[in-house]
This record gives sequence, structure tokens and C-alpha cells, in this order.
Amino acid sequence: MNPERFRVMVSTVLLVGVSISAALIALGFGAAFAVGWQGSLLGQGASTAAATDYADLPARLAKLEPLAISQLGLVALLATPVLRVAASVVGFALEKDRLYAAVTLIVLAVLLTSIFVLR
Amino acid sequence: MIQTTPETDLGIFLVSLCAGVIGSLAGVGGGILVIPALTTIFGVDIRLAVGASIVSVIATSSGAASAYVRDRITDMRIGMFLELATTTGAVCGAIVAAYVSASLLFLLLGLVVLLSAGMQVARLQEEVPTDEPSHLAVRLKLTSSYPDRRLGREIPYSARRIPLGFAMMWFAGVVSGLLGIGSGVLKVLAMDGAMRLPMKVSSATSNFMIGVTAAASAGIYLSRGDVDPRIAAPVALGVLLGAVTGARLLQRVSNRSVRMIFLPVLVAVGLEMIGRSLGLSI
Repeated sequence: MNPERFRVMVSTVLLVGVSISAALIALGFGAAFAVGWQGSLLGQGASTAAATDYADLPARLAKLEPLAISQLGLVALLATPVLRVAASVVGFALEKDRLYAAVTLIVLAVLLTSIFVLR
Repeated sequence: MIQTTPETDLGIFLVSLCAGVIGSLAGVGGGILVIPALTTIFGVDIRLAVGASIVSVIATSSGAASAYVRDRITDMRIGMFLELATTTGAVCGAIVAAYVSASLLFLLLGLVVLLSAGMQVARLQEEVPTDEPSHLAVRLKLTSSYPDRRLGREIPYSARRIPLGFAMMWFAGVVSGLLGIGSGVLKVLAMDGAMRLPMKVSSATSNFMIGVTAAASAGIYLSRGDVDPRIAAPVALGVLLGAVTGARLLQRVSNRSVRMIFLPVLVAVGLEMIGRSLGLSI
């Protein structure tokens, strides 16, 4: 992969990631004005989950709960730099730059550890 | 703050919007202003303010970095190499934050705000010294060039004093993880000051690194329950929109004069945070 395409790829990952996240966060924020943070756009019962609890997100998303939609957007936002780093691992590997493929892989490992292991 | 109303939701959004605009005009990130605003105006717990801010930092940094990467001003190798330091620093900062008192956080935040204000005054625009690249810089491929539009040619550069820069970056990561801010000022200080990289490359690469650094601590804040969407959503949207607006406004006016206008704002916020930390500790 030539450096130019590498840059475009990284730039695209960032732009798409931020756009999708911002759209989801805005959707949840807007919907909260209509039915409340813990209401449901489908008119189902109000949720009792704590606002800072990101567990059982799929079930609450199925009810189109504003809180859950914003949570999904925040998770997507957190995933954006991680995807950017993952894309860079691939980019450096395709450039056959072993040193920087390794450096980037370590950064990716630190990120994944911080997200899934540490608290 | 357990209950939010539509009024506070809207208020937090508008205040974050202002923080984003002022932050981008003043040459600092939005986080550094949004945490004081949330804690002072809305009485938000500092931990939730930090959790909301760190998420907004990812949004603004990634948005801006997307453009700078295309313009070849960001040095992705230097960025990735130094992210080894900032991400591990950020993890340490986020872990330590759980054991640090709120008054110490306010004190640190105040000091970083004042440092940012000081940097606006001291910012030197000297051109790059083009010495022979050091052995380590060649080995680590930390030499490159960037297209300077104003000078109309490629400017070669190479990183100097790499161990010092790396150590300063680790510290910048700790501060970012501890306070939920981008700590761009400390990153630029490490690259521009210690490693003698061109100012434009330093600030673009700093921006590129901020999102990844912030992600390293944001994951910890999220699993700890400090990222409340009722605060984080309006903050992220407001700061992002504000930063974009601020950047548009900046294209029409001279950077330097605008930054001088906002200098007193930064100094006032910094002093307010320090005063609050002293008040809290009594």
C-alpha cells in the first residue's frame, strides 16, 4: 500500500467513526426530549437500568431507549481510535514496515487491555 | 447529580458548545473548559465531568485529525511511536484517578489551564534547525518532511532528544488520564520543545495522538461507571459542534490576536480551579 492510500484510509476511518457516533449520540439526545432518557420510542415501559450501566445494551436498543441509543454512540466513539490503530497495523504491515507494525500492535494491545480488562 | 431535566440537558449542551468554541479560539481543547463549567454551573460530580469530557476529547481530536492526516502534516510514525508512552501513561492516570481526592484534581486542572495560558504567550515560531539526524532517530525512522504552504516547499525534520520527549509524553498521558483532558499543550511541549519538531507537525501530530490517548483512559472510566450518557451525550455533541464552529471562525481572523483576547478567560478559569481546590481541602 502506498503512503497516500494509507493516509486516506486512516483519515476515512476517523471521519466515518466520528460521524456515525455523533449521529447516534444526537439521536439518543434528541429522543430523550420526547420520551425521557429511560423511556422507549416504541412506547414500551420505562427502563430501570442505571444510566452508567452499559450491560444488556442490545435488549434496551430493541426498545429504542434514548439512553441506550446514546450509549451505543458513546461506545462507537470509543471504538473509533481503536479502529484507527487497527487500520494502522494493517497499513504498516502492507508497507512491510515491521518495526512500526509491531509498535502499533503494542498500542492496540494497551487499548484493548484498558477497555476490556482494567477498570 | 442523579436526576436530569430537559432544561439541564439543554443547558449542558449549550455550555459545552461555548466551551468548544472558546477552547478552539483560545487554542486549547474543550475538555479543559468543560470540566470547570460542568462542576461549577451544574454541580456535576467531578468524576462524571471527567468521564464526559474524555469522551468529547475523542470526538474533537478524531474529527480534526481526519483532516490533518490527509494534508501530510501529521507524522504517523512519530505519533504511533509516542502513543506507546501516552497510552500507558493514560492507563496509569485513569487508575490513579480513582484514589485521588477531588481537590487535588481541581488543583492539577487549574495548573494545566494556567500552563496552557502561559504557552500562548511564550509560543515561539522559530523555524526548524536542520542538524544531522541522530542515530536513534534514523533507527526509529523518526525523520521526515512536511509540505509548508506558507514557505511553499518541503521542510525536512528529524526528532531530537527522543528519550526526553518519550518521558514527557508519558507524563502528558498521565495528566490526560487523570483529568479527562486531551493535554495537547503538554504533548506539543514534548514534541516542539523537547524533540525540536516543527510547530505545525507538533500540533497536528499531537491532535492525532489525543484521540488514542483518550480512548485508553475512556475505556476505564466507562467500565467504572463514570460515563453517564445524560451528561456525556450533550457534552460530546456540544464540544464537537463548538470546536467545528470555532475552527471556521478562525479561518477569518488572525490566530494570535484572538488567542490574546481569550487569555484572561484561561487565567480566570485556572485561578478559579485552584481557589476551589484550596476551598475544598479546608
